[in-house]
Amino acid sequence: MDADTSRLGRAGRSFAVAAAIAIVFNTVIACVKDADKPVKAFMASLSGHDWTTQGIADVVLFVAVGLILWKTSIGEKLSANSFIYLLASAAIVSGAGLFVWYALY
Amino acid sequence: MNITASDVILLAHAGFGVLGILAAVWVFVEALNAREENASRIRNASIVVALLMIGAWILGGDWYLHYYPADKALILKGPWPFAHNLFMETKEHLFFLTLILALYLPIAAFEKLHANSHARKMVLWVAMLIVLSGFAIEGFGGVINHGAKLSLARDAGKGAE
Repeated sequence: MDADTSRLGRAGRSFAVAAAIAIVFNTVIACVKDADKPVKAFMASLSGHDWTTQGIADVVLFVAVGLILWKTSIGEKLSANSFIYLLASAAIVSGAGLFVWYALY
Repeated sequence: MNITASDVILLAHAGFGVLGILAAVWVFVEALNAREENASRIRNASIVVALLMIGAWILGGDWYLHYYPADKALILKGPWPFAHNLFMETKEHLFFLTLILALYLPIAAFEKLHANSHARKMVLWVAMLIVLSGFAIEGFGGVINHGAKLSLARDAGKGAE
């Protein structure tokens, strides 16, 4: 059996940060496009619908940031728990944030 | 029996989502008992989660863009407009959170989970978040469906008077 390690691999670290960024971006852009109609119209003009543009932008951001961070030594000294807390808190806060935004807006 | 393309796409979308949630539960349980022997099964299951959620995205996106506007109009003039204003608006954006987590899951699962307790913990968290957000999305779908049903029922009631 391999020895236990306290760190995630490079891909695990890079894409965890990328996922957290993409998830927060998704909530922010959802709020911005609803509050600012020109932004929504611009997003719609790119793919035919603002929702389509948002989904593609989320995935492209996740992949692009993940690949960029993969080439760096980001978080090499951070514990795996830091990445878990980052991703879990981004998901919980962003998910709840979406519901609160649409409840109030 | 009259089954339209809209019906097939909508139900397939929900079906892919439910299967994606089940697959995430599968990953969660396998990761709880991570050993060298089930490492490839965890990786394969995590890929299945990602593929099913991509399928749910494509099918749901097609239905949302082409068929939902009629339901939206129906819901907004019915007794439960919040089924769209709150639940559909949240659902259509919350789904991307689940999708991103589903895309990340195979990356996290490719670590040696049996030898790295922290990587296992990450997989457990991501799988759990997929399950919880997936259930929320499925529940929201039920509210949206009920919003449309209430509107139709009210119209039918008026017609019968």
